[in-house]
Amino acid sequence: MFSILRINTATGKTVKEEYDSQDYLLGGRTLTSRLVNNEVKADCDPFGKDNKLFFSNGVLAGTIVSSANRLSIGAKSPLTGGIKESNAGGIVGLRMAQQGLRCIALEDAPQPDAPWRIIVIGNEKVEFEDGEFLAGKGVYEKSDLLAEKFGVKAGCVTIGPTAEKLLLASGIACSDPHGVCSRYAGRGGLGAVMASKKVIALIILNDGEVKPSFVNEDDFKAGAKQIVKLLKDNPVSSKFTKYGTAAMVDICQAFKVLPTQNFRYGVLPGAEKINAQTMYDTIKERGGQGMTQHACMHPCAIQCSNVYPDEDGNLLCSPIEYETMALMGSNLCLENLDTIAVMNKIANDAGVDTLDVGAAIGVAMEAGLAEFGDDQAAINFMEEVRNITPLGRILASGCKVAAQVLGVCHAPHVLGQAIPAYEPRGTKGMAMTYLSSPMGADHTFGFTLRDEDDPTSKEGKVELSKRFQVLGSRMDGMGTCNFVRYSVRDDMSPLLDLIKARYGVEISEEDYDNTVKETLKIEHRFNTAAGISIKDHRFSSSFYLEAQGNTGTKMDITDEEVALAMEW
Amino acid sequence: MVTVHFKLSSLGKIELPLKEKTTWEKLLEKCTDSHVVDTSGIIAVMDGKVLSTNDLVSDGDVINVFPAISGG
Repeated sequence: MFSILRINTATGKTVKEEYDSQDYLLGGRTLTSRLVNNEVKADCDPFGKDNKLFFSNGVLAGTIVSSANRLSIGAKSPLTGGIKESNAGGIVGLRMAQQGLRCIALEDAPQPDAPWRIIVIGNEKVEFEDGEFLAGKGVYEKSDLLAEKFGVKAGCVTIGPTAEKLLLASGIACSDPHGVCSRYAGRGGLGAVMASKKVIALIILNDGEVKPSFVNEDDFKAGAKQIVKLLKDNPVSSKFTKYGTAAMVDICQAFKVLPTQNFRYGVLPGAEKINAQTMYDTIKERGGQGMTQHACMHPCAIQCSNVYPDEDGNLLCSPIEYETMALMGSNLCLENLDTIAVMNKIANDAGVDTLDVGAAIGVAMEAGLAEFGDDQAAINFMEEVRNITPLGRILASGCKVAAQVLGVCHAPHVLGQAIPAYEPRGTKGMAMTYLSSPMGADHTFGFTLRDEDDPTSKEGKVELSKRFQVLGSRMDGMGTCNFVRYSVRDDMSPLLDLIKARYGVEISEEDYDNTVKETLKIEHRFNTAAGISIKDHRFSSSFYLEAQGNTGTKMDITDEEVALAMEW
Repeated sequence: MVTVHFKLSSLGKIELPLKEKTTWEKLLEKCTDSHVVDTSGIIAVMDGKVLSTNDLVSDGDVINVFPAISGG
């Protein structure tokens, strides 16, 4: 049986329910998307009492399996107007498992002028505590105060000052193994949803006593070791460990899809100054607290995260991921890793999605508010966000709103969510994925780039995107890190065998993929009920009318093709 | 001469004379001293397009090879 703890944020009443369905077994996005679809009125106000915010760990959470403590967070998104699942690393999923929880649901909503509260979940009780002392503070300070109050090992979820103001690009920060709230479920404005319930922090204490039980412990241990072996044996994994996702800078540059100058180009002339090798060398050279290899959760055999130090070796920002390097770097024509790190740190402190705000700054630069390539101007924009000035509020509302307010037609988004770090006219596979995702533009939803023989052609991309939509959804469908797929590749049996050894439940690969496809179907169904139509699954018209500066290609994917890619 | 840049790899930049066209697979074997390379773990890109193992490579071509990493 799997427990869901329902917390009424208006009345303070809590109820623990138990279920044994496969949805609860798998957890992760499989569960959050079903709960959103089943329990949230599709046409509701995302900030109203009818929206619910679900936190779910996955089927292998709390065990010794590498990278299996991912936390999925789901709700109706205020950014896209549709269903949202955004997931993060950190220790919250593990702490939930130790409390015997598969899911936590924040329901209802108090009056907007109600005081901020902290919800504390412990072994014996759930309590609401005063959270007013956190209001207005940055995430790093909140994180320190919460760690001091509840211990660095408590699983901590909090939001930034931008979320407190209900800004649409605000995310949810989760604590890492060091007790720092730096692991973001950044996309879709879920931080603002949490704020609308007047919950400024959610704490899962480190006093949980639930230990994982197994139908066949020997098989489980052998299977967990096998996952680590597969990861170690895979030549890509070792590169991931050394360089992290930053390796994508050179790859995207080679494909001419590195977002540059507000997605006008796909090649940044000075990209080598912000690539993985430069970042690796800089971290090594500066030493101190810098780490080229870092785990966002335990256990993890991949450790693709990093700690980027300043010139004196002191921690500047952790982690810096490729998507941020592109949206807050190349897309703004910035060629300085220190600038990107400073912007990333401010974004983490303000509690915003680096992708959507990076894209919004690109829009602001195109509007003439600053020159592309101006490092100080880019940092100043982030200070506007942190200080929640009128301009900062616009930027923290994401690139769609920023483009509307600033009068920019070339707005890089789908369904209101900023395009991730792959310029879509240069990669029609990724474009198909962005267009057909129920979550808005999302690269993890179906990562086709490596498998596109001719990225600029749309031929065969419906099928390719659909194939990768299933592959991409397999991991978050069970609360496992997306990069575990490097161990299992196309073969899910090692992970499904672990489920069998733990729970005695046999799921075939075909059955699992059918569950994944059903999830996709449910997510699209919710969006349709929310009023989203195929016409919303388009890029801004400029992507269809103007060629990308380096590939010379325009967007040519039709509504009919997108509809096919959404059909399950 | 054909140039192969193995990015983020100790192999680095390799230049090989090439009298006649050959497949990328054969050229890769030459570059790696006939050691077997797991081609699913790399992406070879030439002129913005992915090279498959059977694609032909000519004198003067420049190929960039990357670990087959994805963004997260």
